[in-house]
Amino acid sequence: MLHARDALTRDGVLLIYLPPHGGGPIQEEPAAAGPQQPDDEVEVFLVVDRDGFVTGYNGHVDLGTGIGTALGQIVAEELDVAFEHVRIVLGESDKAPNQGATIASETIQVTAIPLRQAAAQARRHLISLAAERLDVRIDELDVENGVARRRDGGNASVSYAELLRDGHIRLALDPTVPLKATAHYRVVGQRQPRIDIPAKATGQFTYVHDVRLPGMLHGRVVRPPYAGLDAGEFVGNSLVAVDRTSIAHVPGLIAVVVIRDFVGVVAEREEQAVEAAAKLRLEWKTWPGLSDLDRPEQTLRAASSRPRVLLDEGGSAEAIAAAAQPMRRTYVWPYQMHGSIGPSCSVADFRQDGLTVWSGTQNPRMLVTDLARLLDLPEERIAIVRHEAAGCYGRNCADDVGADAALLSRAVGRPVRVQLSREQEHAWEPKGAAQVMDVGGGLDAEGRPVAYDFATRYPSNAAPTLALLLTGTIPAVPNVLQMGDRTAIPPYLYPKRRVVVHDMAPIVRASWLRGVSAMPNSFAHESFVDELATAAGVDPVAYRLRHLDDTRAIDLIKTVAEKAGWVPRTGPQSLPPDGDVLHGRGFAYAVYVHGTFPGTAAAWSAWVADVSVNRTTGDVVLSRVVVGQDSGLMINPAGVEHQIHGNVIQSTSRVLKEQVTFDRTGVTSREWGGYPILTFPEVPAIDVVMVPRPDEPPLGVGESASVPSAAAIANAIFDATGVRFREPPFTPDRILAALNPLPPPAKISSGDFSPVATVPRSQKPWRRWFGLVGAAMAGGLGVAMAMLPGRGMIAPITRPDPSVYAAATLARGRAVAALGNCFGCHLGPDGTALAGGHALATPFGTVYATNITPDPFAGIGAWSYPAFERAMREGLSRDGHHLYPAHPYTAFTRSSDADLQSLYAYLMAQPALAHVPPRTRLHFPFNLRPLLAAWNTLFLRSGTLAPDPSRSEAWNRGRELVEGLGHCSACHSPRNALGAEQGGEAHLAGAVVDGWEAPALTNLSKSPVPWTEAEFYSYLSTGHAPLHGVAAGPMTAVVAELRVVPDSDRRAMATYLASLQTSSLPQPQAESLAGTLLVRTAGISPEATAAGERIYAGACATCHEPNGPALFGARPLLALNTSVHSARPDNLIHVVLDGIATPAHPDLGAMPGFAGSFSDIQVADLLRYIRARFAPAEPAWENLDSNVARIRAGDNHS
Amino acid sequence: MIHLTVNGTSHALDVQPDVPLLYVLRNDLQLNGPKYGCGLGECGACTVLVDGIAARSCVIPLGIMAGRSVTTLEGLGTPEALHPVQQAFIDAQAAQCGYCLNGMIMTVTALLNRNPSPNDTEIRAELRGNLCRCGAHVEILRAAHRAATLVRRDRAA
Ligand code: FES
Ligand code: FES
Repeated sequence: MLHARDALTRDGVLLIYLPPHGGGPIQEEPAAAGPQQPDDEVEVFLVVDRDGFVTGYNGHVDLGTGIGTALGQIVAEELDVAFEHVRIVLGESDKAPNQGATIASETIQVTAIPLRQAAAQARRHLISLAAERLDVRIDELDVENGVARRRDGGNASVSYAELLRDGHIRLALDPTVPLKATAHYRVVGQRQPRIDIPAKATGQFTYVHDVRLPGMLHGRVVRPPYAGLDAGEFVGNSLVAVDRTSIAHVPGLIAVVVIRDFVGVVAEREEQAVEAAAKLRLEWKTWPGLSDLDRPEQTLRAASSRPRVLLDEGGSAEAIAAAAQPMRRTYVWPYQMHGSIGPSCSVADFRQDGLTVWSGTQNPRMLVTDLARLLDLPEERIAIVRHEAAGCYGRNCADDVGADAALLSRAVGRPVRVQLSREQEHAWEPKGAAQVMDVGGGLDAEGRPVAYDFATRYPSNAAPTLALLLTGTIPAVPNVLQMGDRTAIPPYLYPKRRVVVHDMAPIVRASWLRGVSAMPNSFAHESFVDELATAAGVDPVAYRLRHLDDTRAIDLIKTVAEKAGWVPRTGPQSLPPDGDVLHGRGFAYAVYVHGTFPGTAAAWSAWVADVSVNRTTGDVVLSRVVVGQDSGLMINPAGVEHQIHGNVIQSTSRVLKEQVTFDRTGVTSREWGGYPILTFPEVPAIDVVMVPRPDEPPLGVGESASVPSAAAIANAIFDATGVRFREPPFTPDRILAALNPLPPPAKISSGDFSPVATVPRSQKPWRRWFGLVGAAMAGGLGVAMAMLPGRGMIAPITRPDPSVYAAATLARGRAVAALGNCFGCHLGPDGTALAGGHALATPFGTVYATNITPDPFAGIGAWSYPAFERAMREGLSRDGHHLYPAHPYTAFTRSSDADLQSLYAYLMAQPALAHVPPRTRLHFPFNLRPLLAAWNTLFLRSGTLAPDPSRSEAWNRGRELVEGLGHCSACHSPRNALGAEQGGEAHLAGAVVDGWEAPALTNLSKSPVPWTEAEFYSYLSTGHAPLHGVAAGPMTAVVAELRVVPDSDRRAMATYLASLQTSSLPQPQAESLAGTLLVRTAGISPEATAAGERIYAGACATCHEPNGPALFGARPLLALNTSVHSARPDNLIHVVLDGIATPAHPDLGAMPGFAGSFSDIQVADLLRYIRARFAPAEPAWENLDSNVARIRAGDNHS
Repeated sequence: MIHLTVNGTSHALDVQPDVPLLYVLRNDLQLNGPKYGCGLGECGACTVLVDGIAARSCVIPLGIMAGRSVTTLEGLGTPEALHPVQQAFIDAQAAQCGYCLNGMIMTVTALLNRNPSPNDTEIRAELRGNLCRCGAHVEILRAAHRAATLVRRDRAA
């Protein structure tokens, strides 16, 4: 790539530039003249060089529309060179033209003009050189592919390249050079494949996300809690304290950068930066909070605004008052997002001599200005290297992240890459503003419109770069930008028009989004004209045509109506329904007017939308769109068509699905579940009609086809249902509510939020155990109990020589250790095996697991086998003191001698580690270990189980493992009043441990499909029982350990566990029951859980729907899932918040946690939906909101 | 050390097992095909193939990839030697910004590995969890159909 600056110093080039202060008078210089303008002041438009290549510079950037291809076609055409020999450089800030932000589809319509002019000028100059060289007249020459030839067929020819061998020709842009006549176009107007796609399809393209510099570090920012707000006293003034020690342990951490409310971290590796950002503890002031924006109308009306009258022909109020049918309507638009698929990213390198920022910005020049201000640097010392990013459709966080990276790079003196998270991009991107449009009008007795009184409110501005606000560099005072006036003037010939825009400061951070204010304004115009037509009893297309005089609009409307086979009608519901499904068709037309009022028109666009509306579910399906566009001359018709498709799909998504949600703290739509967009199955058939206008100037096509969408769809829904919808998105719940007014949902009273007191208290075993011992003490009983002695010390030995143990014994011992989960509980620091120290938190103090490596002092190296066996079977340490029953000796006592002996051998053969774990120090009286003797007297039944000869060997082995080493009952059995496991019916009947429910392993299981031997076996082997679910929480480690256990032992456990099911089913029947449940729940669309349904569809369905895409990992089906059917939501809440980071088996894949993405309310909404749809026979869970908050807070003591 | 094969080359990586595969591919192996889009398994931008099956690399900890074979967009083909699915996406001009393109190509490749003759409904269902904000869906669907034709032709040859 030839940089504009480099071209200024090169030989062998012809260069067209813009002198400072615009084109001015023609000042063509003699060929090969030296530079007359100082280099620093010129902007380079075009360079032809002696390699035969042409480079065009355009100040705009490619926002993912392939604009570079169209510009290349323009240059190739005017210069008569091959398209392949043209390179287009977009958005370079150094010496390339400054053409402002890439907005409003202006690239082709406005900024391409000087480039085209430059190409024509270069051709004129080169052809005159050629004529001179060949000694002919200019009009005797033809140019093709950069070679000038005599038209009369003579042999003489010369190429541009040859003409530029030496010298440096520099010409000031001459806007008067004649352009090629369109009749002679060869390149422009042809469908040209995009130049960037092959590299993008093979991973060779360098997006800004892919920029890597030597020595580059990774940064992340931590945004304030006022998510998505950028105005008010609190902005930049809310950070109270930063606890740097909270992340001191994160490896690779380089720096924590804090400037007022700007907080960032820098680390060697990306995941380290992510971890540091997530764990950094910050204290923020409270701030006023946000008023309700989910239904924005009232908030917008209440906010202060300044009316700006765009047009007033007088007399509208009187005319409406006198109308035969006066009509006043309000249309409301929601907050929406740009929603770039790639969250913004940037790399910055701050050095002594200046700053370079690699950026996906829409406006490199503005970013330079912002950075200069932020860093107090002269603008000349800042360079932007522009790379493509994910499509942005307006102002997203691209500039924000550039400034973030610059601050972090300055702090550490090295290049830093900052990637925003999905949640940050969603929460903080400047939103497309909500809008309220009031229309007054009416009909006279003949059905003619009497007046048009239009008022629109648009709270948005340019969204100052965030770091400027967070660092307090600029005050967070909301300024007002006059951008609510796009397409505010209605296209129809209404008499007595009055059009007012209420300019407003933003309420939440907002800026331009595709179809800026025109899309909402046109929604109002085009809905209202439809309402007028219906009221007048006239076909809506005919009514429009009656009131238009713009011939291109009339042509377009007629063409589109004809293509769609429009059948005139005078009222709704003319199409026959299919049962509950109603059909309708709607029309809308708009021209997108952009730029400062009165603005410039871009392409004309018209839609015919076909919808079907399900009366019972509220689902709206857009089945087909016929969309027509008059774009003037189309440089690349393939690109235009692609833009039309993109606009239709994106705007359909906005109209049917999209609305930013808020709570008092700010934006709550932080991922694609909270902000769903259109998916492939919902994409309509699209028929594009492009009106050929080769002789008209080219018009912007980047936004126009979005503009009529909302009204076309709303008009179609009206046609189908007879009900008028005036506030998108047209989601099923809104449609249903309007079609079948239901009684309002029972209002949730504040009592419902009362904390856990009303939750049935099933205490975790430790608390109960300790609690009861304490009570006994208080009763005086304790004194006697405390006197009971231990049973004496067993003499130390020298650690046995591990080489005496046979390999088979050690292997068996390893399996026994796995069965007993020794590794899980006796985990040492930094994951060292068996060294102890793993903490079991209890409300009475912390129990620390001991070191069971063969270290003679810190571990059990001095323990003889009898000492070991006594600890396992009776809960006594070698020195005779009682172990807390956190060590499950009441179960271990059932183990066979052979198992315990091999376990002993295995432990003695492990590396001795001298680590001394912290001592367990419980509060009085729980620190009195001798109390345990009394407890043991009551509850310890020492010894193995006698084999049951009536059962198989496998069953007996399974029982020994489940009841003994496996100590399943330690978690899965409820405990009695003294904290001991209950027997009988209650044995293995389920309990809650550490906030997780250990479900019943017996018939009391809530699983919808009974457990079978095959399911148990699968679960114990892989952590996945296809008809029940996957292991989560504490069970992942348990099952992972079982992988070293002999298969026969897992089978034996499954055999025994299956025998506990008194109403089991044979596997084939269990599978067919599961199939029935899947079919039944597939069709359930529970009412009143719309929010949860959306989250499920966006966040969960891909991996959990039965027919989802085939993906690596398990596909746990919620209709069969044990946790979904449990009486308690706890396990599901844990899994949604924390995910399953380390699966029980690598084949299962992992699940991400959503704690950082969902609010408590969103998790509760989601669970409400999951429960209602997938466990329809179970009662709804109560107090979900407060339970989510409790579990999120880490309070496991329910 | 975690051993895995990426695009046919075996690697021993001294990286923590809980690091998402996506970061390892992008940062340690400097592969730009897989993209970060959400980190939550919702958008598909990060899709790679694991032993031939589509996988969301943003939610897969490196540790569970030990011993497996990962294919990224770069491993399918190069501009000089395109994989038929890549060829089909170029032929159909199936991208606007192209940020989602990796996920689309990898998911379609995985689908065709399983089912070389999918119908339109099957293609749409398979791509349901692959989001595109630019609205390149029409061209992507065309590309998927064309890819099926090219893949079948390749196999027949
Ligand atoms: S980045 Fe992996 S699915 Fe979105
Ligand atoms: S092409 Fe931009 S997200 Fe799909």
